[in-house]
Amino acid sequence: MSETEVGTRPIVTMRGISKKYANVVALSNVDLRLHSSEIVALVGDNGAGKSTLIKVLTGAVHPDSGVIDIDGKAIAITKPSVAQDLGISAIYQDLALFNNLDASENVFAGREMLRRVLGIPFLRRKKMAQEAYQLLKRLGIVTMSSAKFKTAGLSGGQRQMIAVARAMGMNARVMVLDEPTAALGVRESGILLDLVRTLREQGMAILLVTHRVPDAMLLADRIVVLKGGEVHGELDPQNCVLDDVIELIVRGRVA
Amino acid sequence: MTSQTDLGLVAQDEGAWRRLWAFTRNLLGYRESGIFIALLVIFVALLIISPTFGSRYNLTVVTLQMATIAIMATGQTLVIISGAFDVSQAAVTGFSAMVTGLLAVNAGLNPFLALGIGLGTGALCGAVNGILAARFKLHPIIMTLATAVIFTSLTYVLSHGEPVLNLPGPLLWMGGGSIGPFPASVAIMLLVVAVMQVLLTRTRFGLRVRQVGGNVEAARLTGVNVAAITLGVFIISGLLSALGALIEMGRIGAALPTIGSTLLFPIITSSILGGTLLSGGEGSMVGTLFGAAVLTIINNALVILQVDPYAQGVAQGGLVVAALIIDQFRRRQLTLRDLIRREL
Repeated sequence: MSETEVGTRPIVTMRGISKKYANVVALSNVDLRLHSSEIVALVGDNGAGKSTLIKVLTGAVHPDSGVIDIDGKAIAITKPSVAQDLGISAIYQDLALFNNLDASENVFAGREMLRRVLGIPFLRRKKMAQEAYQLLKRLGIVTMSSAKFKTAGLSGGQRQMIAVARAMGMNARVMVLDEPTAALGVRESGILLDLVRTLREQGMAILLVTHRVPDAMLLADRIVVLKGGEVHGELDPQNCVLDDVIELIVRGRVA
Repeated sequence: MTSQTDLGLVAQDEGAWRRLWAFTRNLLGYRESGIFIALLVIFVALLIISPTFGSRYNLTVVTLQMATIAIMATGQTLVIISGAFDVSQAAVTGFSAMVTGLLAVNAGLNPFLALGIGLGTGALCGAVNGILAARFKLHPIIMTLATAVIFTSLTYVLSHGEPVLNLPGPLLWMGGGSIGPFPASVAIMLLVVAVMQVLLTRTRFGLRVRQVGGNVEAARLTGVNVAAITLGVFIISGLLSALGALIEMGRIGAALPTIGSTLLFPIITSSILGGTLLSGGEGSMVGTLFGAAVLTIINNALVILQVDPYAQGVAQGGLVVAALIIDQFRRRQLTLRDLIRREL
């Protein structure tokens, strides 16, 4: 087991996070640090607690105990908007998109551009459509001719990019990606993983939650293995092989 | 018709035919176009079949009947878009009408104040529904069915089943008065539809309603206060039910405990005919207006064409079944325009 030390202070430090649903232990005393310009892969079997851990970080779930420090200061992330204000964005596995809305309304969900008339917040629909279109074009969705398409009719890759565009638009410093390549084809996965590298170069801290251990080996600076709600180790992809990670996921220890 | 503006599909050059095709395609793509075409066809057909239908008197009767339904149906449409249902609207109507009538006549309150309190009663009923739906997360249909029984019961406690007659002038104006050549109720209807359409499509609140109805989990994750939105839509629904009550009261000339009791079915039918998706997230106020028009005209035609009154329910029920089938179809294919775009 090795650990890559990044010299700077972590942006996010989660300490002793525990969470129970009724009698089921989802998380037990979990520690996790995220630095800027770093990709941390969170791997583990189904039910290992990955989803719960990221939901704690994004304010969607309240831990029973534990502390989260942001820039060294303890902060209670009580709801998703608090996490967003702190620069923590998440892209959930089911993408949390609105199929009944168009691409621009999805990209700007939760931080709409507004114009107040008589105190009533009206949407700036044209401006949002233009900006969303530019953003999506930058992310490489060249097949779309406008951001006014209903999200329901788009491909898995396009939907993923809309979710990425939404997260990026929030001025995120920390981005959580939950199974980002699960619904994507080979070419689309490649585009997305390249994008994740680009985001790291731009200084973002990335928490990549994935089943696909090879993706984690390829991209991550550190791999954190979760099993039964506990951290069972941290690996450096440079100094281990695929089998080590899988051993750890399945057995909870390296032979 | 207002729906989304279009950036993607305007043909740039390539001749008049192509532009005409693009124009037609866009027109057909609006959610409201299907019901509008249906309205047009039925209207023209009735003009040809029956001389009575096109008479000034008959058309006035139709628009007056339509006003109450359309106003209340925009409230129902908003609730359905948010993913819920409000089956207490008819009961709120009776309750608000009786509160207003009793205050103005029996208690001798200033009629304008009585109207205000009547509207407030509707909003309050809506707030009760909203709190039960948002705070306690009760199933909206059964929950509003239960509150409907409560509101109706309170109506009879207040009125002992007696109507209030001899209403003062201001209480009759909304249902019986006119603004220039237009009946006041029709003007109010058009205003309500316009305001509700803008609210739904152009404001942040309207977007929140569509978000909650489209994907409530995603709405929560993006920081939407779902409870506040639910409360808001039920209050608006209650308020519009009270407005419908006051118009109906003016039209009839009396406050009756049963004043809106037959309106629930036409209201929900109007919403569905207008293209409101029953699963939530999608709908249009302008479509709802057209839906109310189609429904009222068909009911009117059944009378004019002297269809056996006992058989009229077959047509009315059949209309809803047809609308539900269209609703099923819409779930797979949102508008014709989306379908065309997908093919390209």
